[in-house]
Amino acid sequence: MASTGDHIAFDRVLIVEDDEPTQRRLVKLLLELVGSTDCVTVADSVAGAKTAVSASEPRLALIDIGLPDGNGLELISWVAKQHPDTSTVAISAWGHEEVVLAALRSGAVGYLMKERDDAELRSALQSIRRGGALIDPLIARRILAFISLASTEPLTPPLTSAESSSKNDTALSERESEILQFVARGFSNREIAHLTGLSRFTIEGYTKSIYRKLAVSSRTAAVFEAKAMGLL
Amino acid sequence: MRMVFVLLLACMMLVSTDAAGQTLSTSNATIELKSAEAAPADWHSEAPPVDGWTPVKLMDLWDARWPQHDGVVWYRLHWNQTSADQPAGLLVDYVNSAYAVYVNGSLIYSDTHLTEPLSRSWIRPQYFLLDKPLLRPGQNTLLVRVSGLAAYQPGFGTVTIGNPASVLAQQRRGEFWRYNVQLFDQSVGLVFGGLFFILWLLRRKDAYYGWYALCTVFWSLYSFNFVASSPWPFDNTDVWEALNAAFYVISTVTFAIFLLRYAGYQWRRTERIMLMFCMALFVFALLCPQWTGRYRTVPIVFGCSTYYASIFWFMGYALRHPRADYYALAGSLLIPLVVSAHDMLLFLSVIHSDNYLLAVTSPLTIIGMGSALAYRFAVAMRRAENFNVELQREVNAATHQLTETLKREHDLALNNARIGERLNLVRDLHDGFGGSLLAAISTLEDPRRQPGPAQVVTTLKELRDDLRLIIDTTTHERDTDLTGLIAPLRHRWSQRFEAIAIDSQWTVDGVEDLSLGAMRVLELLRFLQEALTNVLKHSSASQVHVCIRREGEHLSVDVHDDGSGFDPGNLTSPGAGLPSLRVRAGRLGATLQITSSPGEGTRLSFDAPLSPLV
Repeated sequence: MASTGDHIAFDRVLIVEDDEPTQRRLVKLLLELVGSTDCVTVADSVAGAKTAVSASEPRLALIDIGLPDGNGLELISWVAKQHPDTSTVAISAWGHEEVVLAALRSGAVGYLMKERDDAELRSALQSIRRGGALIDPLIARRILAFISLASTEPLTPPLTSAESSSKNDTALSERESEILQFVARGFSNREIAHLTGLSRFTIEGYTKSIYRKLAVSSRTAAVFEAKAMGLL
Repeated sequence: MRMVFVLLLACMMLVSTDAAGQTLSTSNATIELKSAEAAPADWHSEAPPVDGWTPVKLMDLWDARWPQHDGVVWYRLHWNQTSADQPAGLLVDYVNSAYAVYVNGSLIYSDTHLTEPLSRSWIRPQYFLLDKPLLRPGQNTLLVRVSGLAAYQPGFGTVTIGNPASVLAQQRRGEFWRYNVQLFDQSVGLVFGGLFFILWLLRRKDAYYGWYALCTVFWSLYSFNFVASSPWPFDNTDVWEALNAAFYVISTVTFAIFLLRYAGYQWRRTERIMLMFCMALFVFALLCPQWTGRYRTVPIVFGCSTYYASIFWFMGYALRHPRADYYALAGSLLIPLVVSAHDMLLFLSVIHSDNYLLAVTSPLTIIGMGSALAYRFAVAMRRAENFNVELQREVNAATHQLTETLKREHDLALNNARIGERLNLVRDLHDGFGGSLLAAISTLEDPRRQPGPAQVVTTLKELRDDLRLIIDTTTHERDTDLTGLIAPLRHRWSQRFEAIAIDSQWTVDGVEDLSLGAMRVLELLRFLQEALTNVLKHSSASQVHVCIRREGEHLSVDVHDDGSGFDPGNLTSPGAGLPSLRVRAGRLGATLQITSSPGEGTRLSFDAPLSPLV
């Protein structure tokens, strides 16, 4: 079940961020959550990040999408491909929904928006640690729009019989799309929990499962599309 | 009386032994009797006259011999039977007009009317089967009593006797060519006439359809002469013949006018004179039928001339104006030209036959003329269709041009809208964000402000939230409804209240398909954001309820908390943001209602009209 999704231990965390104040802010937030910064590595470039990931195999990588020597989206894809045990979370400033969606489709299990209050970032990180994810109405709406677009005109080439078995893994369940609908209309997780009779942690689990499906469904097409959207 | 008659017959047989006639030797043979004796008698003659017999050759038309004789002429014929054991067939080929037949003194046939109105038996040959005892070996005598009028070619044709089967076959053949073909001709003429009459009714301006229909109708009336067995509905032959001539003339005149129209001419004066002549002829035929009938040759020659003249004229026209339908029509007229020449000579007794050929060929002519008309109709249709295609092309071109123009205009409008939006955004930044920025600067510059960064942070966060609202509304105003536009704010504030354990409830109702426009949405969001900021900062509430619902043509907005409240009369109360909230409600066309008292919580509400105030 989605709610029993992987709990992510914050024992080895990599922060890929070139802006020092943001680095410090994230380190401080992680410190509040885990009580120690021994396990936090910081990289400020794609190259450094790749080295760090390969060296320490972190459980979690917070990756800024706008990096000086490359693109965060590519790094996220790279990590998802080369180090599937490392979960990635995208960091976005003034989260442009397309960019966030692209990050999720590249394999990120969540996102953080720099302009949010510490409290909001903290709860997002907590949710990620619990194995869930948070979501904003605008992102939910983007995903819904993307799903309906993808269902009417498949972006990927026709599936072979081997691939078609994975199709069910990528289609959203009724519950998942119901949750997205609620989020898009501004309901908080607490309200959704109340309306669906699920626990809010379950809902966070569903959210993460939605992100994962986005990534699976678009693993091959993501880079191409991001390029098409002018993001790469 | 009967005795006398039989005696007379016996005498005549004796007298005319030299005219004993041909001999029918075997039962398979047939003989055609071509000579007879004829004797005139009055209308009511019941027995053949004793004398006055003249040998005649058959067929015999008595008007040449007795030009003034209206009444009865008896014809007497003889033939010899070798044996009377087998029955013999008798064919009376042609009799004009009514007649009775006696064989060896016994009456075997009589027309219904032997006096006026005379039966018209001239068309169909008649067949009789003779057997003993009527038929006898040796000499047999055939007496035919013919009633007729000298003016209308009265007379008697040949007689055939012999093998019943072959005589009957000959009769059938004659009936077919002289009667059935005429009937068929009539039907074809009426069908075509009716068809083109309907066509003319629907297309009055194509007058030639009408003239063609008229021509075929009168031609059919004239041709009725060839199928009618009595002068009904008239009571004498004169009226019949007079009207028949009139119909003939009218049909030729309408035919001539049809050809003129077909070629696109209109000879008003000639046409009028000819039509007046027709009219006069018609009236004459009804008023003095006898006179008209007797001199029917005059109108018929006139009609005939008209007919030939128009045909020749049209052929000349067709030669000068080569066109497929002209050729077709001229070709179909060539047939009657030849045939009717034959008929005319027949009528004028220049040649002798009992068959008028025109009837046989006239369906061909009618069909030919009909084809020409149909061809013309098809050409007109094709032109109309081509016109439609042309029209369609023009319409397409015009539509395309219009689409282009509309697209240009749309692009222009879109561009203008974008420019307008950008201006709005600039104004928003100036009014809202700029105002907040200025306020923040003056707050931070105020020397009385509390030391420490807390207020700076608060102020900057307010600025950030405002910028967030501007971005959200301007980027998403077009692709979502009010619920969707409120969603980010609602989500953000739900999280914030949750983080500090304030129970927030939202009711968003009936606004799914509502679109207020970016400016008004932004105003509403700012109002909510400021109201919620006040709750967060000042109220110490444990619950806040935001309610946005559509009520008819109004949008009802209500924010209330269970916090400490304040005294609305006291301007120094913590409700510092109230003037700004009032202004925002005012911009939405509403008046802000503030209900609050210390310890009782605060309620801010307004009802904004959905359509912007003009």
